[in-house]
Amino acid sequence: MADQGLEGSQPVDLSKHPSGIIPTLQNIVSTVNLDCKLDLKAIALQARNAEYNPKRFAAVIMRIREPKTTALIFASGKMVCTGAKSEIQSKLAARKYARIIQKLGFAAKFKDFKIQNIVGSCDVKFPIRLEGLAYSHGAFSSYEPELFPGLIYRMKQPKIVLLIFVSGKIVLTGAKVREETYTAFENIYPVLTEFRKTQQW
Amino acid sequence: MSTFELYRRSTIGMCLTETLDEMVSNGTLNPELAIQVLVQFDKSMTEALENQVKSKVSIKETKWVGEKAKGHLHTYRFCDNVWTFILRDATFKNEECQENVGRVKIVACDSKLLAQS
Repeated sequence: MADQGLEGSQPVDLSKHPSGIIPTLQNIVSTVNLDCKLDLKAIALQARNAEYNPKRFAAVIMRIREPKTTALIFASGKMVCTGAKSEIQSKLAARKYARIIQKLGFAAKFKDFKIQNIVGSCDVKFPIRLEGLAYSHGAFSSYEPELFPGLIYRMKQPKIVLLIFVSGKIVLTGAKVREETYTAFENIYPVLTEFRKTQQW
Repeated sequence: MSTFELYRRSTIGMCLTETLDEMVSNGTLNPELAIQVLVQFDKSMTEALENQVKSKVSIKETKWVGEKAKGHLHTYRFCDNVWTFILRDATFKNEECQENVGRVKIVACDSKLLAQS
């Protein structure tokens, strides 16, 4: 995986990441208010790479290639930007969308930009006994293998949801700043090593 | 049954429109009849493409060696139930031949919408 490659080239700061693993950011969701009413049909007709099907969804769906992202643009002027791999990229993408809207003749501003969610993932590279983990952390865990193969761990501090898979792959979501993702992973890492699955055959 | 008017912009449609225009302007055809002909053209095109055209064409991005001119979907749009695609460096391929095209514009409508209206 890419994150492991990154660690090889740059030594991990063990004071910040005692586990030696840095979760890779996979998706950033941000919102911004363009603060002007928009004619979505006019936007869909003039802008490139736009979809507008008001019967199914009341927003224009627009994509750009760099940073590779998708935006949902609403008639109210509110916009959601998804798919960026970092906070900076998310903001840059949102600015590019705002610029496109401006070029189409709308008085778009760039108000109240906010990162709403950060999703990260990593691989601890050892299998995990999810039943054991779910049992001992019952208050935070939900593990229903018939519904979903991962254990859903709702951490309270920081308030992050983790998906923990038998394979040792971890997904962390719900962060507003990347440090919450990192802290949540460092919090869970000792628990994961505790419930490391030892091969019995 | 209603029809799409998109085939009027094809070469054959443009030629028909031009001819009808000419006939209307020199008085050999009345305008209502010209409109009727165009509507029939829409119907006939839809029907012919649906029932008589059996050949299949695949459209692919051209892959050239090296970084230059890698074909791709340059632009797409979906508005008013019409998809528009602009491809760069596409390859058209059917049973007999293959051709490279620098720029392609594909306009596609959902034929199911005709049944509803």
